[in-house]
Amino acid sequence: MINEIKQRALQEINQVNNLKELDDFYRKYIGKKGEITKILRSLKDLSERERKEKGELTNKIKKEIINLINSKKLKFANDLNHQKTSWIDVTAPGLLPSQGYPHPISLVQEKIEESFQSMGFSVIEGPEIETEHYNFDALNIPKNHPARDAWDTFWIKNFDLLLRTHTSPMQARYMEKNNPPLRIIVPGKCFRHEATDSSHDVQFYQLEGLMVGKNISMANFKGVIEAFLKDFFGSKLKMRLRPGYFPFTEPSFEVDIKREKGGWLEIMGAGMVHPNVFKSVGYLPGKLQGFAFGIGIDRLAMLKYKIDDIRMFYSNDLRFLKQF
Amino acid sequence: MKISYNWLQSFFNKKLLIPEKLAELLTMRSFETEVIGKNKSDYILDIDVLPNRAHDCLSHIGIAREISVLLGYSLNLINYNKKLKENSKELASKLIKVEVKNKELCLRYTARVIDNVKINPSPDWIQERLRSCGLRPINNVVDITNFVMLETGQPLHAFDYDKLVSGKIIVRNAKKGEKIISLDNEEYNLDENILVIADEKKPVCIAGIKGGKGPEIDAQTKRIVLEAANFDFQIIRQGSKQLKLETDASWRFERELDPNLTEEAINEAAYLIQDIAKGKVLKGIVDVFNKKIIPKIVVLEIEKVNNLLGVKITKKEIINILKKLDFHTKIIGSKLNVSIPTRRIDISIPEDLIEEIGRIYGFEKIKSKLPKASLISPVRNENLFYKNKIRNIFINSGFSEAYNYSFINDKKYSINKNNQNLVEISNPVSQEQKYLRPNLILNLLYNIKDNKRFFNEVRLFEIGKVFSKINKNKIEEINKLGAVLLDENKKQTQEFYYLKGIIDSLLNKLRISDIWYDDAIEENDLSIPDFCDKNRRAQIKVGNDCLGWIAEIDNSALNQIGIDSEIAAFEIDFNKLVTLATEERMYLPPSKFPSVVRDIAILTNKDTKIVEVMNLINASGGALVKDIDLFDIYQGDNIPDSKKSLAFHIIYQSDEHTLTDKEVNNIHQKIVNALKKEGGWEIRE
Repeated sequence: MINEIKQRALQEINQVNNLKELDDFYRKYIGKKGEITKILRSLKDLSERERKEKGELTNKIKKEIINLINSKKLKFANDLNHQKTSWIDVTAPGLLPSQGYPHPISLVQEKIEESFQSMGFSVIEGPEIETEHYNFDALNIPKNHPARDAWDTFWIKNFDLLLRTHTSPMQARYMEKNNPPLRIIVPGKCFRHEATDSSHDVQFYQLEGLMVGKNISMANFKGVIEAFLKDFFGSKLKMRLRPGYFPFTEPSFEVDIKREKGGWLEIMGAGMVHPNVFKSVGYLPGKLQGFAFGIGIDRLAMLKYKIDDIRMFYSNDLRFLKQF
Repeated sequence: MKISYNWLQSFFNKKLLIPEKLAELLTMRSFETEVIGKNKSDYILDIDVLPNRAHDCLSHIGIAREISVLLGYSLNLINYNKKLKENSKELASKLIKVEVKNKELCLRYTARVIDNVKINPSPDWIQERLRSCGLRPINNVVDITNFVMLETGQPLHAFDYDKLVSGKIIVRNAKKGEKIISLDNEEYNLDENILVIADEKKPVCIAGIKGGKGPEIDAQTKRIVLEAANFDFQIIRQGSKQLKLETDASWRFERELDPNLTEEAINEAAYLIQDIAKGKVLKGIVDVFNKKIIPKIVVLEIEKVNNLLGVKITKKEIINILKKLDFHTKIIGSKLNVSIPTRRIDISIPEDLIEEIGRIYGFEKIKSKLPKASLISPVRNENLFYKNKIRNIFINSGFSEAYNYSFINDKKYSINKNNQNLVEISNPVSQEQKYLRPNLILNLLYNIKDNKRFFNEVRLFEIGKVFSKINKNKIEEINKLGAVLLDENKKQTQEFYYLKGIIDSLLNKLRISDIWYDDAIEENDLSIPDFCDKNRRAQIKVGNDCLGWIAEIDNSALNQIGIDSEIAAFEIDFNKLVTLATEERMYLPPSKFPSVVRDIAILTNKDTKIVEVMNLINASGGALVKDIDLFDIYQGDNIPDSKKSLAFHIIYQSDEHTLTDKEVNNIHQKIVNALKKEGGWEIRE
């Protein structure tokens, strides 16, 4: 009889579909008045040998059934957890991944590089420690010339070297090793020996540009730079050129821009490469023409992001960096 | 430079543009100009004369000449050479003799003598002009010399003749030990680098810079010597720097003036002194002028103008512009011979003329034109490519990008004392720029300190150059990649492993393999800064090549900086990284056969390195061991104090067939045996 009950129980438990039915099933077999319980209770009337034999078997079956009930219960509990509630609160905050932020100067530099690369300019880098030759002499800025005062210079102790005051030395370095036609831009860190305030610092980022060929003209400079500026600031930007002076360009000019609001702002110096620079790098005189320009990357970043103090760039304050 | 609007107007019959419009015109065609204020009925313009035009434009006449070209107005200049009538019978050369010792340093010395002057305050119109330009009126003679300087650009000086030892005026280098007391009662020590005007006894004037107290004009002065000279710009520049004395005169001289200017200026001053101070001008100019300056000729190919500017300006228009600028032209075939007025020291090559033509023609009329260039794509810059790539990897790992100064101060140096190769700056602006940074980490540690006030998690990285002396003659600048980590949110101190994970992931993304961490570092190895904890540091190596280091920062260094939390940092040679990195990828199809995972727990000594255990598993397991994954390190209950338990998943897989239980059991058993025998470790069942 006990085995019959077992067979039946095993069949029935497969039909159990929820906790309520499982509860009924429990009561039917294991509960106070359950069939197994009844059998166990009836054991006391049997002989000792029969009681032992039947008792062991019944208890074993009871254990099996309880195990089945427990595993079924666990399954239902899991299913319950997996059941979706009808809605989620989409306004609750998302779980953010760890976030890092690029430096604004990197952002601006990348954008400038992209813009010029699309016009066929290669990006070149140069040394931050320079010789007087490349920083000045090769650029037609002779020793003891008052023009040299315009570049306040940090000098290296015990060496005949300096921290470059502009990226222009790369004009000479690059032309010495490469033949025209050429198109390059040179971004990099430069240094000026001057007191710091909200618009001046001892270091800054500049981007040099150089294009040399047989017929590269000032009109071409205007074309290239206008394309770049519109790419960078948007197509409504206005640009103007006015006379400037740099020893390494002739003619020289300053470039001002005007955005929708506000007045004219000076953003770069430029000019047509001075014949003495061509001469100093060993190019044949009279055969080549080209333009060169220098843009303050920090300055563009300040304009673009409305940063009012250049020193913020080197504060590395996360409250600043996290905004880019 | 301050320029008086009314003064400018005085050179023209026609009415000038209103000050703002005039300023705008000058800005677009000549020099940046601003209207900065008023002096009574006068407007003050601030004109930023370009350095190459300082030869001829640091004066009202200079600016008026520009305006006359720009507006097409004719310029009324009085010819004082003609207007001045000498009204004394005496010869100036009888009274004074001028001796110029070095003709290279004093290109011209022009002098006049004026007798019987009456020293008084100058008339109002002169005083007002001076005030408009920011000068203080003194007396009629001195004011006239200043007035003429502001009008012509030629500095002048007046001496009291009777205070000189004799009539002999000597232009010479000062001698070491000589002194002079200036007009404003400052004493200056002179030496051979300083040019002076001297009488037979002593210097009476610092040439081109400042007058001396000795022969000063005062109320009793009767006879004066008027000087208009031209000095070498370099000696004046050097002297002004050495004496730390910049004056209106030195400012002009050091920008190089035209020696032909002196005569005009001295005659104007003499005329005004005659007129205003009632002086009698002696006959003749004493003029030491050895090398006469004559106009240069620059040959200009007309075609070149349009080639360089990218426009089409007609020959006629070019000649017309040059003529307005007072350049005389002669057509020779397709070329122009252009004669340059001597005051235009800036013009010496055709390009200089093209600049003049371009700006007068109008830069705005030059139309933008994209260059005709061949379609060559730019050369890829590997450094830059990887810089951008690595930047993105770090940003995506939660690190923000820092840009620090390239300098460090003494305090930072004291934290990194084992650095023998620091590069020093000889002229720092402040103590902050005493040295060039020898690594990126020093500054980054201070960034952590600053940010710690607001954040308990700071992750920063920087890519930039560091500097070190290689030997007496060579400095090396190396691109580095550095990162620092502070994480006060984590309960366990995991900073080191966190950063190590970042490096592993970075190198993996750059497809650099073979990376290992070497902690067998000599006590005094200089390749790792001494602010790293000696027990918690390693060199990052790929094969035998050392890429950099990773470490936790030493407590005493943290104390010095003022940080009370654990910090981990690493620094890697960026260029080596770029050399090793590759974009090559090759696809390998995943195995078609299932893998089998067996776990193993090993009891080792606490100081056993995990890499040793893993190496042994790999070596003894052979090719079918596809991967080993450490999933637990346990120390504590149930394990002796000196031991730790390491638990690994070992993944077995073949590319050729499905592994049988028997095969896996055999290999697994081999591994177990090796770990027991060769490793001497206990396997926990």
